Amino acid sequence: MKYKLITIVFLLCSGLLKAQTIDDSSIAVNPPHEPVIVGQNNFAVFGNAEMIYFSDKNNSHFGDVNFKPIFLWKISDKLFVEAEPEFETGGGSLNIGLEYANMVYIVNPYLTLHAGRFLPKFGAYRGRMGEGFINRFSTDPVGFGDGGIGAMNEVGIGAQGGFGAGNAKINYEFYISNGPQILSDPGNPEEFGQFDYEGYIGNNNSKAVGGRIGLLPFSNSSLEIAYSFQTKSKTGEKGTLYENVGVNMQAFDLNYWGHLMSIKSDIRVIAEWKHQKVDNAIYYDANRTAFTFNNSPTAYYVAATIRPSHLNDVFFRNIELAARYSEFKRPAPWGGDTNQFALSLDYWLKWNTVLKLTYQKQKDTDNAFYAQLVFGF
Amino acid sequence: MKKHLNILYAVILITGLGIIGISSCKVSQKVMDKTGTQLWGENCGRCHNAPGPGEFSTVNWDIIGTHMRIRTNITETEEKKIIEYLKNTGN
Repeated sequence: MKYKLITIVFLLCSGLLKAQTIDDSSIAVNPPHEPVIVGQNNFAVFGNAEMIYFSDKNNSHFGDVNFKPIFLWKISDKLFVEAEPEFETGGGSLNIGLEYANMVYIVNPYLTLHAGRFLPKFGAYRGRMGEGFINRFSTDPVGFGDGGIGAMNEVGIGAQGGFGAGNAKINYEFYISNGPQILSDPGNPEEFGQFDYEGYIGNNNSKAVGGRIGLLPFSNSSLEIAYSFQTKSKTGEKGTLYENVGVNMQAFDLNYWGHLMSIKSDIRVIAEWKHQKVDNAIYYDANRTAFTFNNSPTAYYVAATIRPSHLNDVFFRNIELAARYSEFKRPAPWGGDTNQFALSLDYWLKWNTVLKLTYQKQKDTDNAFYAQLVFGF
Repeated sequence: MKKHLNILYAVILITGLGIIGISSCKVSQKVMDKTGTQLWGENCGRCHNAPGPGEFSTVNWDIIGTHMRIRTNITETEEKKIIEYLKNTGN
């Protein structure tokens, strides 16, 4: 154990020292284009405002009005703070949450350290592709929204970076966080074996460790493929029957973006597969009835989009078509397997402002129409 | 538990060695020669529509550059070239 830790510390130190040398030389050779104002602390606010109109055969309403400002402080070339509070109304009342509050120290060109509440590094959808102005659909794939696999955010510390190698690029992220906390409330047996991922504090002395390694093999960065993992040995509250229930998660994600000049269009294919294995446990409902089940859900989605971005006609080049299929193989107590197909017609009013018209079919659910408006600012 | 930790150590070890090894390797000349315009076109659009040069102020582009590097792990060289292009073209 000691040797392993010493080896890891040595590797990190080697990286820091090596990179510090590179950093110093780059300053000497390439003076900055603009004078540096000592003590300048730059601040900016960006973000999204969103709303959805929903309609199926039984109901229609306006809702999901969300406001998500992003506060950014560039304290110096090495220090950065990013924070995003969320004001959401999807649950029928105003819900205020903290999406992330992340303190960042850029050590060198290859290593960045961070601490706080940060976006998940498990897979790509929840931390990146699910954002309102990035997701081409008004909805999430099954297994990737609420009640799905993996966190919406994490509380802990991490290290990340990216670098080139030949024509390729590699990026990495590793972290230690409070991690998932298993749900075992006898009053909610349909949630047995699922997790609360949103904990601001931990529920025992165990921590989740995880990471993601991405590869962009082509020189034009058109393709990214990545592997993610997360493991936590104890997910239950300390002193309870479930304290020692562990979980392992793995994910693969893919993002391809290219140009089809023969039809003057940009195309995109994105996909993600993720799997979770939870240790066996015996659960008790409100009547003290004991039961257990194989808790190893899997979810995946595949989506493709096409946008004739290279047409001269302004109206048509702002239209984007998207199709997505997703499946969530989940334990029977959670509702059993489900799948979903969604088609979307989007109109881009600006690079980050879009109207999405989505038609969705989901197993055991009425077909539904969603119109979502997202304003980026 | 021990198995999980061993897997984690192995992943960190391999990645650590990889980072040191590969960061010692040279980026290809083809990649080094890329301009900020090229890198902007290739990287920003991978997730979202790429904002144009006139979209934000010079100071804001610096902030956005760091934010996007943290969010997507683009390299430091890419960040600097892209932001220089956006600042110099739009202001």
